[in-house]
Amino acid sequence: MNRILAIIILIILAFFIMQGLFTGKEHLIYGQPTPKISKLHVESGVAETGALNLVTAIYLNYRAYDTLGEAVVFFVAALGVFMLLRKDYREGTD
Amino acid sequence: MKQISQVVLIITRKLFPFMLLYGCYLISHGHLSPGGGFQGGVIFGSAIILLGLVEGVALTEKRFRENLLSFIKNLGMVTFIVIGFGGILAGSYFLSDWLPKGAVGTVPSAGQMLLLNLTIGFMVGTGIAVVFYRMINYGSKE
Repeated sequence: MNRILAIIILIILAFFIMQGLFTGKEHLIYGQPTPKISKLHVESGVAETGALNLVTAIYLNYRAYDTLGEAVVFFVAALGVFMLLRKDYREGTD
Repeated sequence: MKQISQVVLIITRKLFPFMLLYGCYLISHGHLSPGGGFQGGVIFGSAIILLGLVEGVALTEKRFRENLLSFIKNLGMVTFIVIGFGGILAGSYFLSDWLPKGAVGTVPSAGQMLLLNLTIGFMVGTGIAVVFYRMINYGSKE
């Protein structure tokens, strides 16, 4: 029963994936990338963000959510060290 | 404990403020030249780590107290999110750039990016220093 259910779910997922692959055919030319968004960033990045360094323009303006996530990851790592490595640690007491 | 070499001691003392200055330069010019918050922050933190390794951690902790560094780290994280909410208050979406932009190529040219770089840079620098303190003081009960 579980196996039949899994197969049905897989077929439904495969249907949606194939639909997504084959309906947007005019954008997907084989062997060529589809650099729409990167072209947009390179062409209008300086004018839109005002930053000469395009890497910074991307990671602090277009993808600022990503940078927030990175900062949170670093913060949580530092907090973990801060919590685990105490000065008054003694072997075998806790 | 073996005495540390005089050359290393003097060179580190002379080099330390310039390392801090270079870290601040990388942080504040992150949107104009290669570099940015994370890289400048790591240089900022490694200057403190170098001082801690050469001068001894007890002396370094007197100058750069762990409580203060930890407070700056927490403040940086909160400030990042508060700056993000500023975009909502200005009528746009979260973390959108709403500050006015100056002439391209100058330091205040990118609006919000300078503030975000500053918060990230000081958070990373002080966070690395705090991690170093914790790792080197581990188990040494006073």
